[in-house]
Amino acid sequence: MSETTNSYGYVGKIARINLTTRTVTEIPTSRYVPENIGGRGVCNRIFWDEMRPGIAAFDPENMIIYMTGPTTATGIPTGGRGVFTGISPNSYPEQYAWSGIGGSVGAELKFAGWDGFIVEGRADAFTYIYINNGEITFRDAEPLRGLLVHDTQRAIAELHGGEVQSFVIGPAGENLMRNATITTSNDNVAAKSGFGAVFGAKNLKAIAVRGTGDVSAADIPKLFELRRRMGSPSMRKNPLVRELTHGMDGNEIPVEGGWLRGQVSCSHGCNQHCNRLMLDMKSAFGDGRVNQVEKCVGIFAYGFQEDCSWTPIQNYETERNHFLACKMLSREEPEPDTDDPHFDALFTKVRGDILNFWKPDFDKGSVMMDMCNEYGIDKWDVIVWFFTWLSMAKSEGLLDNLDFGMEVDVESEEFVRYFIEMIAYRRGEYGRIFGEGMARAIRILGKEQYGDALYHGRVSQVTGERLDLPVSLETAWGHSYHWQGRGFEGTINKPGWVATSLELMNSTRDAQTVAHHHDKYENYLQFKDDPCRSPLLVDGVILSENKAEIKDSVTCCDWQSPDLYWDSLEAEMFAAATGIPMTTEELNRAAERSRLLFRAILIRDFGRTRDMEVAAIFPTMRYPDASGETVEWDEWNDLVDIYYTKRGYDLTTGFPTRETFERVGLPDVAERLYPAEVEP
Amino acid sequence: MSDKSNPHIVQSPPEESFCAGCDSCEIICALAHGEAVSPARRRLFVRRDIRTMYHTVFTCRHCDDHPCYNACPKKGAAMRLDGCIAYIDDAECVGCGACARACPYDPPRVNYDRERKLARKCDLCRTREGGPACVEWCPVRCLSLLEIASEVE
Ligand code: SF4
Ligand code: SF4
Repeated sequence: MSETTNSYGYVGKIARINLTTRTVTEIPTSRYVPENIGGRGVCNRIFWDEMRPGIAAFDPENMIIYMTGPTTATGIPTGGRGVFTGISPNSYPEQYAWSGIGGSVGAELKFAGWDGFIVEGRADAFTYIYINNGEITFRDAEPLRGLLVHDTQRAIAELHGGEVQSFVIGPAGENLMRNATITTSNDNVAAKSGFGAVFGAKNLKAIAVRGTGDVSAADIPKLFELRRRMGSPSMRKNPLVRELTHGMDGNEIPVEGGWLRGQVSCSHGCNQHCNRLMLDMKSAFGDGRVNQVEKCVGIFAYGFQEDCSWTPIQNYETERNHFLACKMLSREEPEPDTDDPHFDALFTKVRGDILNFWKPDFDKGSVMMDMCNEYGIDKWDVIVWFFTWLSMAKSEGLLDNLDFGMEVDVESEEFVRYFIEMIAYRRGEYGRIFGEGMARAIRILGKEQYGDALYHGRVSQVTGERLDLPVSLETAWGHSYHWQGRGFEGTINKPGWVATSLELMNSTRDAQTVAHHHDKYENYLQFKDDPCRSPLLVDGVILSENKAEIKDSVTCCDWQSPDLYWDSLEAEMFAAATGIPMTTEELNRAAERSRLLFRAILIRDFGRTRDMEVAAIFPTMRYPDASGETVEWDEWNDLVDIYYTKRGYDLTTGFPTRETFERVGLPDVAERLYPAEVEP
Repeated sequence: MSDKSNPHIVQSPPEESFCAGCDSCEIICALAHGEAVSPARRRLFVRRDIRTMYHTVFTCRHCDDHPCYNACPKKGAAMRLDGCIAYIDDAECVGCGACARACPYDPPRVNYDRERKLARKCDLCRTREGGPACVEWCPVRCLSLLEIASEVE
């Protein structure tokens, strides 16, 4: 490999790794950048260029693309994140999707001289890939078969040394469980798209990487300035803290003797430590204790009687009051500015619905987390969907005819162990069914009876009324509710959930992990009474969507970006890394290109139309939110009209027009998508 | 081997500040020396424990009897002394790796890249105005310069 990098930010090549032929070829990164920035932007271009309709997630023809960004490994904070894309087995129906991941593999890959890789084909024997600087080899993974996630990581470190970084799957991925994760260090996962099962389908257990090369940012003084300014205030001590309780708002548990909380960062070179490390917790395996990372949804494993509360500051910001999500779990939020005229409105907490899914149980929660970590399963769906369904379906008497081999009892640790093991290993009839993920399992069982039946145990703390929910918390594309006015994190009010639902409608998976909806409070005041007819609200949706694209391309972290009062942050990061001047407007154009490529892929390969996406999202908003609000058909379609018009899509089909593709420099995509000179 | 080390970088106990495992110190170290970011160019070493997530930072102890210096075939030119700090002059270093082999610690506190014949070691940022860069830039302030000479356990 070369002694120095051939350009700033990027290291110059992408590996095409074919498992069928056991061959590796090099693609110059310059084929795709700087136009497509990096990360998801490059993945979308590659997928558009190389794929075709008719391929299923588990086919050898499906490709898993992983890309870093130009900031990765440079020392620009949060640049350590990277993105996987491919056809997702977890999306319903299967569609092209993405999944972000932190850790240090992205940085190590760049030290090895690669900006990313494409994995295609299927190995004829169980394999792991070892990338050692420029050399990529196919290794026998039989000795790793069946190993839990951490045992796999340990075995790889024993084989290749403690400095090696790896992406691995656990038993769930090997058994093609559709919620299977790809895991790396500090319990970082690519979870939502189920790409761990695609690894499994490719007979691929792991990708291990070791690199010793150089990565350079172009502008070192700027890099230091970014380190100082991003996430500020920062640079303070991070002592282990003994907490005496766990959980919040109706789910608190006193913990005997307390529990030890530490904070760790998720990715290479980050200047924050948002991930909560819970030390000395009950393990699901043997009598040992484990340290495990909890972020966001994990808190509900320990107790889920009441939904997450909502405070408007989480979505709406003023110049005087806005802070980054990364400060939340480390409890480093700045003191609010009480002189802000909007202070009261921004900081008034709205308590979540009473749901009574399960009582607080610290050890049981820990076991649930540990099993997800070790089997390599998306915690989100286990906590928010599988177990909430078991709880609701049981209390509605729907499970009487289903014999799981053990009495369903979500309060029992024994049952939690039994059920998670059953789905990870796909044991027995129900293991096979639930291993398909909730969306598919519910359809196999009968959606009307097992999915759409109502749960009568939800009580709003806004109105005090009982507001029924379906027992399966499904929203669009085979995902569960997330900041959508009902279900998990359901307390956000209507102007908020129509925005997040629109973001989901345009996607193929839960969008609130990277497009967490943000807007200025001054805008909110203008659209709050009639959100579905507000071009201003749609501007906020487009901003959140474009920023998501940018974050996953530059790369930077969702918990530090966007800062609505530092709009050029990501452009400054890109320019500091690459030395290529970049304005906010140009970066936004690149985000639009990436989104258009994504949409073109959905239209070409997965039949996406307006009718399809409206049909996917609309029914999920017919259940009442915490204030009893829903959306009407005309209202929703008015909102979609405004959105399509602003995005440059045809109002009938939902296809971007030729002009829209041409405006951002993608006439070739329009040409391929609409070959016969037929306007969409 | 002497049982005495000189001022060196130490990691705080976790009760005081828990290492976030961010690798920023390794990155900053390379940058502070005007170099690219690379595992081959760091002068301190973050060792991760994948399971416990207790990360340990290994640093040069600046031993009193400096075996790394003694082993250098070009000592005085490639390996030099500035008080109790042994440091490498890149332009003179021939990349033989003798210093790394002579370091009594595991892992060796001299970073030697065999393939590229590159040796790097901590010089406590002796010419840097603000002192050790790793200390200044650790986001959780869990590194500090232990000023006094100490017995090595
Ligand atoms: S003191 Fe300077 S040379 Fe030594 S490890 Fe820290 S940054 Fe590197
Ligand atoms: S910079 Fe500080 S927190 Fe980060 S790895 Fe180094 S010692 Fe640990």
